[in-house]
Amino acid sequence: MELFGLFISLALVNNVVLNRFLAVCPLLGVSKNSKNALNMGYAVTFVIFIASIITYLLYHQVLKPLKITYMDLITFILVIASLVQFVEMFLKKTSPEIYKAMGVYLPLITTNCAVLGVALDNISSKYNFVEAMVAGLAVPIGFTLVIYIFATIRERLEIADVPAAFKGAPIALITAGIMAFAMAGIAGIV
Amino acid sequence: MIQAVLSLAIIGGILGAILGISDMYLKVENDPRVDQVMGMLPNANCGGCGFPGCAGFASALVEGEVSKVGTCVVCSADKKTEIAEYLNSTPGPDGTTVKVTA
Ligand code: SF4
Repeated sequence: MELFGLFISLALVNNVVLNRFLAVCPLLGVSKNSKNALNMGYAVTFVIFIASIITYLLYHQVLKPLKITYMDLITFILVIASLVQFVEMFLKKTSPEIYKAMGVYLPLITTNCAVLGVALDNISSKYNFVEAMVAGLAVPIGFTLVIYIFATIRERLEIADVPAAFKGAPIALITAGIMAFAMAGIAGIV
Repeated sequence: MIQAVLSLAIIGGILGAILGISDMYLKVENDPRVDQVMGMLPNANCGGCGFPGCAGFASALVEGEVSKVGTCVVCSADKKTEIAEYLNSTPGPDGTTVKVTA
């Protein structure tokens, strides 16, 4: 039950994008089309989940015993960059269309601050291994949810009669702001 | 200090090895012309052509998405003709050539 609470709190209440404003770059960049947005969500979920497991183990089994915990940032970035590279090779092989559609945003997962954010949060919040795994799943699922909803709204806005001054990016940013309001509302319920 | 350096080197080595092995399994057959064109482009990766870097521009040329080498704003006139001549005369894996102008 506690784990479920943690999951809900990380996925919805403290949503990475709309509450902590991490990973805003892919949110705006890959949300023109809901299919690509979902694919981005899957890629990020994979990277964050595996990265949070590996970085957690590395921190507690390698860095801590050797008393070199100050190396955490650079080690984590190394792990994340390798994972993203792997996802890139995998997608290029298995589905070139997705690879092309995601373009530069795929390698940019490396610098997606949500990935490093989860890895560092797992350490600083003193999670145990299971909690770290739950966090590694909840955060990117929250991200996927938001980016998918956002993309579907943007698809509709595309055909809506938006005032000329708000067309394109401005209305997208306003939408994101209103979604953040809605998310803050959930915090009141839970 | 020495521990930090060593452990980072070992972690990096392991990750590199994993990537190297998976690269063997996930290898994609690339059109060799893309690499050739890449070699002739300025490799400034400035994005001036509107593609994500020179690699994106090279594959767009080979796939016929753009038909004017001059879309690259950095390329010198000599290189543009060189690329155009190369692409106009070299057939791809499927035996067809793409028509581009300098
Ligand atoms: S404009 Fe030319 S140099 Fe710049 S990225 Fe495109 S191909 Fe490369």
